[in-house]
Amino acid sequence: MTGMEEYHNGNEGSFSSEEADAIVKECIESVIGGDDYNQNQVNKWTATIVERCLTQLVRQGKPYKYIVTCAVMQKTGAGLHSANSCYWDTAMDGKDDFKSHYTVYTVPCESIRPP
Amino acid sequence: MEGSDTYLIRPNHQHKFKPAIVKEYIHEIVRERLSGVRYNPEEVPELSHSLADCIKDKVKNAGFDRYKLVVQVVIGEQRGQGVKMSSRCLWDADTDNYAEDVFMNDSLFCVVAVFGSYYY
Repeated sequence: MTGMEEYHNGNEGSFSSEEADAIVKECIESVIGGDDYNQNQVNKWTATIVERCLTQLVRQGKPYKYIVTCAVMQKTGAGLHSANSCYWDTAMDGKDDFKSHYTVYTVPCESIRPP
Repeated sequence: MEGSDTYLIRPNHQHKFKPAIVKEYIHEIVRERLSGVRYNPEEVPELSHSLADCIKDKVKNAGFDRYKLVVQVVIGEQRGQGVKMSSRCLWDADTDNYAEDVFMNDSLFCVVAVFGSYYY
């Protein structure tokens, strides 16, 4: 039947962790840069980082759903651990974790291509 | 032309990801595993991984077919520091949803977020 194979995006393939890494890093640096932890700003920072990241990822134009989470913590010597467990299609979906001095970022991406 | 016309592209109302139910599961599991536990830097990595897997299995078996799941567990030590965690998602708001829960005792805090995304 014709027309069934036509949906083909130029950059198919599984999720690229390196590109996401670069985007995330740039976002964090542009929002927080070298600032110190500031209780009043933290809300604004997390919201801005996450939204900016999401818009940049979407700009890539890939057929993916995105979930971006960001945790910002003050450095007091306390420990923080983050773990994820995902149930998805390992060929198409992937995630990228990014840690910087205070922030831990996770971007899982799930393909929305039909089977 | 043959072909079945039963391929669902939207979940039925009963099969949608239900945040309230999932939040209950998370709450139970975390409370059971973390009550009375003190933050120990050697054990916590393993604890957070096993908690994530445990929650993922529980939600998977709750019968949300066709849902891809992402479970994120963050455990941190309580030292009076400030923490803020937020997330944004680009998805189909009609079919996809998430559930989260926070647990605190005086030595640690634990945030769990479960995201469910419908697989068309």
